[in-house]
Amino acid sequence: MTRYAELQVTTHFSFLRGASSVEELFAQAAFFGLAALGITDRHSLAGIVRAHEAAKVTRVRLIVGCRLDLRDGTALLLYPTDHAAYGRLCRLLTLGKARAGKGACDLAWRDIVAHGERLIAVLVPDRPDALCAARLHRLARDFGDRAYLALSFRRRPGDQLRIHELSNMAAQARVATVATGDVLFHSPERRILQDILTCIREGCTIDEAGFRRERYADRHLKRPEEMARLFARWPEAVARSFEIAGRCRFSLDALAYQYPDEVGEPGATAQQILARLTWEGAARRYPEGVPDRVAATLRHELRLIEELGYAPYFLTVHAIVRFARSRGILCQGRGSAANSAVCFVLGITAIDPARSELLFERFVSRERREPPDIDVDFEHERREEVIQWIYDTYGRDRAALCATVIRYRTRGAVRDVGKALGLSEDVTRALASQVWAWSREGVEAKHAAELNLNLADRRLHLTLDLARQLIGTPRHLSMHPGGFVLTRDRLDELVPIEPAAMVGRAVIEWDKDDIDALGFMKVDVLGLGMLGCLRRAFDLLEEHKGLKLDLAAISADDPETYAMIRKADTIGVFQVESRAQMAMLPRLKPRNFYDLVIAVAIVRPGPIQGDMVHPYLRRREGLEPAAYPKPELEKVLGKTLGVPLFQEQAMRIAIECAGFTPGEADQLRRSMATFRHAGGVAQFRDRLIAGMVARGYTRAFAEKIFQQLEGFGSYGFPESHAASFALLAYASSWIKCRHPDAFLAAILNAQPMGFYAPAQLVRDARRHGVAVRPVDINASRWDCTLEAVEGSERHTVRLGLRLVRGLANRDGAALVAARADRQFRSIDDLRQRAAIPLAALERLAEADAFRPSLGLSRREALWAIRALHNEPLPLFAAASTRAGEAVPEISEPAVALRPMTAGREVVEDYRALGLTLRRHPVAFLRRDLAVRGIVPCAEAGLARDGRRLATAGLVLVRQRPGSAKGVLFLTIEDETGVANVIIWPDLFERQRHVILSAGMIAATGRVQREGEVVHVIAQNLTDLSELLRSVGARDETFPPQGGGDPAGQGGGPDPRETPGRKPRNVPMPDSGSGLEIKVPTRDFR
Amino acid sequence: MPLVIAGRDGGRRVVTAADRAAQALGVRPGMALAQVQARIPGLRIAATDPAADAAALERLAAWALRRYSPVAALDPPDGLIVDVTGAAHLVGGEGALLDDLLSRLRTAKIAARAGLADTLGAAHALARFAPEPVTIAAPGETEAALAPLPIAALRLNADCVDRLRRLGFATIADLAAVPRAPLALRFGPELGRRLDQAFGRCAEPLQPFCPPELIQVRRAFAEPIAALETIARHIEKLAEALCPLLDRRGLGARCLDLIFHRVDGMVQAIRAGTARPVRDAKRLTRLLTDRLETIDPGFGIEAMTLVASLTEPLGWRQGDILGGEAELDVSALIDTLANRLGAKRLYRVSPVESDLPERSVRTVPPLDPPVCALWPEHWPRPSRLLSPPEPVEAVALLPDHPPAHFTWRGVRRHVRRADGPERVVGEWWRSDAERAAVRDYFIVEDESGERFWLFRSGDGEDPASGDLHWYIHGVFA
Repeated sequence: MTRYAELQVTTHFSFLRGASSVEELFAQAAFFGLAALGITDRHSLAGIVRAHEAAKVTRVRLIVGCRLDLRDGTALLLYPTDHAAYGRLCRLLTLGKARAGKGACDLAWRDIVAHGERLIAVLVPDRPDALCAARLHRLARDFGDRAYLALSFRRRPGDQLRIHELSNMAAQARVATVATGDVLFHSPERRILQDILTCIREGCTIDEAGFRRERYADRHLKRPEEMARLFARWPEAVARSFEIAGRCRFSLDALAYQYPDEVGEPGATAQQILARLTWEGAARRYPEGVPDRVAATLRHELRLIEELGYAPYFLTVHAIVRFARSRGILCQGRGSAANSAVCFVLGITAIDPARSELLFERFVSRERREPPDIDVDFEHERREEVIQWIYDTYGRDRAALCATVIRYRTRGAVRDVGKALGLSEDVTRALASQVWAWSREGVEAKHAAELNLNLADRRLHLTLDLARQLIGTPRHLSMHPGGFVLTRDRLDELVPIEPAAMVGRAVIEWDKDDIDALGFMKVDVLGLGMLGCLRRAFDLLEEHKGLKLDLAAISADDPETYAMIRKADTIGVFQVESRAQMAMLPRLKPRNFYDLVIAVAIVRPGPIQGDMVHPYLRRREGLEPAAYPKPELEKVLGKTLGVPLFQEQAMRIAIECAGFTPGEADQLRRSMATFRHAGGVAQFRDRLIAGMVARGYTRAFAEKIFQQLEGFGSYGFPESHAASFALLAYASSWIKCRHPDAFLAAILNAQPMGFYAPAQLVRDARRHGVAVRPVDINASRWDCTLEAVEGSERHTVRLGLRLVRGLANRDGAALVAARADRQFRSIDDLRQRAAIPLAALERLAEADAFRPSLGLSRREALWAIRALHNEPLPLFAAASTRAGEAVPEISEPAVALRPMTAGREVVEDYRALGLTLRRHPVAFLRRDLAVRGIVPCAEAGLARDGRRLATAGLVLVRQRPGSAKGVLFLTIEDETGVANVIIWPDLFERQRHVILSAGMIAATGRVQREGEVVHVIAQNLTDLSELLRSVGARDETFPPQGGGDPAGQGGGPDPRETPGRKPRNVPMPDSGSGLEIKVPTRDFR
Repeated sequence: MPLVIAGRDGGRRVVTAADRAAQALGVRPGMALAQVQARIPGLRIAATDPAADAAALERLAAWALRRYSPVAALDPPDGLIVDVTGAAHLVGGEGALLDDLLSRLRTAKIAARAGLADTLGAAHALARFAPEPVTIAAPGETEAALAPLPIAALRLNADCVDRLRRLGFATIADLAAVPRAPLALRFGPELGRRLDQAFGRCAEPLQPFCPPELIQVRRAFAEPIAALETIARHIEKLAEALCPLLDRRGLGARCLDLIFHRVDGMVQAIRAGTARPVRDAKRLTRLLTDRLETIDPGFGIEAMTLVASLTEPLGWRQGDILGGEAELDVSALIDTLANRLGAKRLYRVSPVESDLPERSVRTVPPLDPPVCALWPEHWPRPSRLLSPPEPVEAVALLPDHPPAHFTWRGVRRHVRRADGPERVVGEWWRSDAERAAVRDYFIVEDESGERFWLFRSGDGEDPASGDLHWYIHGVFA
């Protein structure tokens, strides 16, 4: 039996070069009986943690290593022999990356020597020439007995001779040789995908690739016997691979993580400081005295924190949150941290342990021996302040963001493979448009058939085939939005750091999962749009209504707010605004905060897949009793009527009913979340069921429970997280209910966020009686504002300049600043005082912002602006300054412009603002729709169950939740309201193109009524985009008069194309684009 | 089946034209092809060919010139302008002329529309935008005829048309009603100029189309000639007469046709090509006389015509009087060789970046510019490649040993030395057969020192990679 370790393996973390995953390589290595694998990605250790995990699973040893291509062309493999050497390798890579900028590495030989102590260096030679000899001598000089020369077969002419000469040359230089395979993929059939990767990397097609393809053959992993056979003349080189593997004793397990030191009081330990802060915080939280139960919990938590040494971590998060608060930045912890009473009293989370039952072990557990994971949401726009503070406070060599591995998804895979195979861009784009970005199946043949593409075409076939293989392959490293790694010692000795594309950011090479696997501390500094929206709402309320509120000060349990939620009147509200949520609310009928927590948690893939929703609803509606086989189960599941909905309940069941320790229960949860595919659940399953049976449950019941738990293992919420989110859902509902005006202004200013576009938010607010005023150069500020109504408590919302498409913030601000307290009296006046570019004036004219105060229509304003010069004429500017008012530059004959049709105004509103305060576009089409027998959405909503009808509207949302087995939910809207359409998979496949591309759709189908929730089950769909395009030609709701409005060919019928006049086609630029109503749909999966 | 013509707009393939059936289905020029294709099953797609379109338009112009009027002009990409002033009465008036023109075009399966007016601009607009396929604006009625037409008829750029529309201007009448100064201020002088051109307020000169004539010379003989020497002498005279004509236009001949009109009415011809444009009488003569033996003069030749059927610009080049090193011009030699041997027999080999030996070489014309690709260094290749490779009988140890001996063309050779394998994998993107195919190449030397290039089909392990048969693919010098 030959002993061989493959030391030169490139994984797909050498982006667009290696063609196999770490897992595939290790599995193959285990199958072949290789002793160890040396992972040597180019200038990168990005795959090392995955390799470490794979090595543990397959019991093939991992040799950590890296391949460097130096400035002078030398190719070198480096392997650290111990921990210190690993630190030097990381610093070396960090240095090279910092020097070369993102995605590259620039190192010279002297850098290698400077960091080379206790690193093994293997020279990768090309030909046995003088250059090679020189490099070999340099290597021998600087690395002594840690220098080796790699020998690899290339399957090219003169191979044996080349290796023979290299071997002699090495002997002369007193450098030992080692056999390597220069592996690029785990199995020979990956060769084709590897060629594609090369093409993508080089940006060429496969036909042009030529010698840019890998020049040498046989780059797959080989068996030890095969290596021994190939290197029969150099058995010592094969044996030496094993020797090197033996010298490299470094393992990632040795990386000990150190918490950063918080600046504390002298003489006090972190634990003492934490304890003091905790009790101080508790006194603040409970002014009338800390409840006994809470005090006991705090003591329990502090004990566990001390035992595990996590105190510094809590202090760090506390420091970050304290900083944010000091700047008035709203923040709130989410996730499992909300299970901690310590986090609550420190102000990190908002779930009161006195009012809910917390399970600290979900957050921190003795068994897991992993640092807890605290995620904190900050206001989206101000998160950057927090991030920069962290960098400044902890130092850039001790704080860095995690990477996110960007992997190929279907669309990108099809696009890149298609390009490499020479398909034209429009074909690949059309193919890509047929799938949802997250689709795992890839583009299938039927999608291509749908596009009438020729499936017999070999290239097309290859594209689909190879794209499927490419899905999941990493493409590059990107920055995690907010996952910070903080350390006490130099971070660049733990992992290479590279500069990010964003200035002032540094990113480590590992992602979130890698960090988890190694047990590093991570703080997620996340951005949440709703927090920004809430802060804006609080500011508005304080400014205009004199109400000083914050998240904690909102009156709890407001019946009107809950009444609104029960009616599913929740457009724009946090979390409970999605279509699925809105369908559920009338059935859940939330009356208190805990009901809201359940609402947040229940409409999730986990509970839906675990079939928990319907039993819960039935019990809630009193249709079925909640049964508990044992009283202890009632204790656990009583709150949720016997149906497990939260991760904590899963753990509690394991603890109470099957005798698990809290730590074990957490392991059970994790095994369900992470090892679902790897099959680590089985042992827990047996233990859980055995444990429950031993405690007197029936096997059938135990199995059912396990099944339910399994369902939400990965997709379920912890209760603490649901509660954190429910708080925000309640807060936003309360503002929407009590102050719809402030809510609208705040949410418009916080865009983009949530499910709904500004058009729907504005429409919804107006339906609730909020008056909305148009954008006005003499009244609007950049943000939307509230305007007091004389003699009334009410406020109207003035739309802000931020809604004007294409208007730069700078120009908008200049306008507001120039206006100050003196109104603009004309366009000339505005132009001369604000001095903003003509293009900005045109954007304002297109947005109709000159009408409210100057009485100029869009066309009149545009006409006037076109006459202006790009720079105000100095003479007139001087005259204006003297006169104290604008002197018009020209006086010219008046020109009467044709007024726009009402329909055209609406189209232009959508074009320039994305919303209209005029009539709904579908209103203009109502007569045509009525002729076709299409009823308004509101009528569909009132129809009796089972009625067959057709309704139509603009497509607002397309949603295909993963849990709904391919069912697509479509939300359409007309002037009367919205309708929810359900499309079954077979119809979706038949009419995929219409569904995914139409801007306006008519759905024919049957009404399905479940209580107050009404759906139309579609049987047929019609694309009405053409009809929608005719809106611009329409005045009021009558059919088009005369020639219609000429402003856009896409809108009005082309005068050349009226029936009966069919001139032959004259090439015309596609001026229709951009002139139609485009509602940005939100597509979700 | 509907038909569209597709062209490229950057990386996008777009429809540049659509037939009536396609237009009935809503296809318009400028749409993305993939989108149209997705919507219409069985759509026929042809690639656009602007050069051919231009050439066809020129042919039409030449035809109109002969048939209807001495003055015609091109209005690319799809228009033809005929100035019928003083010419219409010859065919029975303007109406009759247009009817005749359109019906003839219809016979040739060309769909056409026509407009006739006082000005070029108005005629252009009427032909394209008037409701009727044939529209004649009587003298002095131009303004009335133009009034209802859309502003796009004014030959303005698309951006200007779009901006006018957005301001609410739809027809030419709308524009005509507006005072000129405000329009000029906003849209520049072009708008006013186009209006004036259409209404005849300013002149618009026409650039008459002039068909490219063939350069040719002809000699008729009082007595038929037959002797080769005589013919050759006249060829020389024809060439000498042709060259000044070429010179006057700054052209050189790339292709020459020498046509012999025999007394019996038969016509024979010699065609000679050159690699570069030539205007040297001696060279032309030599090219033609080299091929003279292919001509059978029969009972005699009564006339000869020399046509420069393909010409290219040829500037003057000053001789280097300072005695610097002149660039060696082998084109004369190549022309001579090519005309003797046939153009296809004269070529250079050029490298192609492919690992497959038979694809690593291609032939290129002798004077093609060199390419930068090179054959890999240090990888010996045989001086002669057999095409196709010939099967040999050989026996070798699997998986990767060279054969001990092999038999080629009945001769059994014992292998003394060998190198290999060089593993060449199939170019999977070309065909399914190549997806798994592998060849293992060996350089082998027999006892007499001859070296051969053998390969085994298959990598010796995976049956899908080849059937393990042996072939010889080349011989080393």
